[in-house]
Amino acid sequence: MQSRVDTIAAIAQSNTQTINSQGSLWRIGAIARNTFREAVRDRVLYNLVLFVLLLTVAAIFIGELSGGQERKIIVDLGLSAMLLFGVFIAIFVGVGLVYKEIERRTIYAIFSKPVGRGEFLLGKYLGLCLTLLVNVVVMGLGVSLALAYVAKGWDPLILTLWPAVLMIYMELMLITALALLFSSFSSPALSALLTFCIFIIGHFSADLKSLATSLGSTGARLLFGGLYYLLPNLSNYSFITPAAHGRAPAPGFILSTGLYAVVYIAVILTAATLVFSRRNFK
Amino acid sequence: MNRQTLYLSFVLVAGMAVTVLLARSIDARRPPPDPNAIDESLYLNPNTTRRVSLGFNGLVADWYWMRSLQYVGRKILNTPEDVPIDSLSKLNLKLLAPLLDNATTLDPEFYDPYEYAAVVLPAVDLNAAVRIIRKGIDLNPSEWRLYHHLGYIHWQQKDYQAASEMYRRGSQVPGAPQWMGAMVAKMAAEGGSRDTAREIYNRMLEQSADEKVKDMAQRRLMQLESLDHRDILRKLMTEYKTRVGQCPATWKEMLPVLRALRIPVDQTGAPLDPSRVPYQLRAGACEADLDPKSEVLRF
Repeated sequence: MQSRVDTIAAIAQSNTQTINSQGSLWRIGAIARNTFREAVRDRVLYNLVLFVLLLTVAAIFIGELSGGQERKIIVDLGLSAMLLFGVFIAIFVGVGLVYKEIERRTIYAIFSKPVGRGEFLLGKYLGLCLTLLVNVVVMGLGVSLALAYVAKGWDPLILTLWPAVLMIYMELMLITALALLFSSFSSPALSALLTFCIFIIGHFSADLKSLATSLGSTGARLLFGGLYYLLPNLSNYSFITPAAHGRAPAPGFILSTGLYAVVYIAVILTAATLVFSRRNFK
Repeated sequence: MNRQTLYLSFVLVAGMAVTVLLARSIDARRPPPDPNAIDESLYLNPNTTRRVSLGFNGLVADWYWMRSLQYVGRKILNTPEDVPIDSLSKLNLKLLAPLLDNATTLDPEFYDPYEYAAVVLPAVDLNAAVRIIRKGIDLNPSEWRLYHHLGYIHWQQKDYQAASEMYRRGSQVPGAPQWMGAMVAKMAAEGGSRDTAREIYNRMLEQSADEKVKDMAQRRLMQLESLDHRDILRKLMTEYKTRVGQCPATWKEMLPVLRALRIPVDQTGAPLDPSRVPYQLRAGACEADLDPKSEVLRF
């Protein structure tokens, strides 16, 4: 609640300062900062404690179970946990971003100020992305430390795991945008379910494409081909397994997947703004 | 601390203590586990497992890998005799092939399961072992170790031409070590020789990350060394018999020759096997035998 009051106060302050495009950026920043503060106050980052415990136990005991493969398992386990924890945060915090404001009626106070619907959504989105960024960076450092502990010093995998961390972060940004889109028009439970379904289908994209090419019917081919392009291809961001073998994605691939994420997120947030603009908060 | 907190803390501690006691009592009354449960078939085939792993395929592959190690380890522990990991046919390891197949399908670049498939699986299911490593070669044609693993399987089956062909293909992979090339001719010309076996086990000892595989290779090398020792001792005793007219009755009679050849001996003058246990002299037969307590005989 405190962060919502902070948000309204910060926005009010920004309005008195300036009402132009810089003011818009400032308002988005204020909402993002307060969304991040709210996540911290809601103890979202406590998942890091669980993550550190998981890695510590793995680093100490995995050697006895893995037949000399502890380095690979540390990377697989650490990055998979990073993705899993991140997906849970993106979905469960993401679907509540808008809903909580509506439920507690603070949204009326926010929109009584000159704050655009798009600014509000973008600020909320960036705030959660910042929370996820802190999360993945701390987790990445945790995996690096666990690797250094297992290797008893420097390990080349420490360098190659960071591009995979970046890919995981891009996937989480996409999922957060989807959660925000669904939460702009449906209940948190339904939004969480829909986002989780997209997360699953997004990892089956390659199957959708092969299904589209293998089907005889033109209609079915168009449907599955359309779904392949419509839904986010999250398998593009799966670089955990290659990272565990010391392989990093090529810079060109990172750039193109990054561009895909930016464009896709822009489309989703535009759709969310369109839906959200039609809702009456007066 | 008020009285209510004290009461609640007491209930918490006492309740936990009672649940521990109850858990122990339930464990004691539980019927023994079904010995067949460990061999229950895997529900998902490798390709389905790969599809449903949702980007966590590396972690799921690790889980299958650790499960195959636990599966073999548990079977070995439940067997009263000491069995080497390359002769586990008696243990009914019917799940090993699907476990390794799943691990390598989920993460085709995970090379340790291939090595396990080459060393452990042939005694259980030769066709599955060859299939898994062939799949690995198809998916990773530039990984010379996989050709070495398949060559090893063919060598074990005494198919030296096929083994030589595998080493030839492996030696053509960029980055393959020179000894792969040397193995081509060695396999074709003297596949069944001790030298070839020594070369293979030395490379296995050098390349493997798995302690059990290293241990097996080390033991096989000790056995090869012991065969060489016994050949030398037999030759020396035959020469002694030619000179003296009879085989030596004790090792002491052979001591000067053994010392001259720098063959390690114990305080009684008996030559030592590679595990530092003295050889036993079969008097009258000019033969040196391994002591039943020798580590060389363990596998």
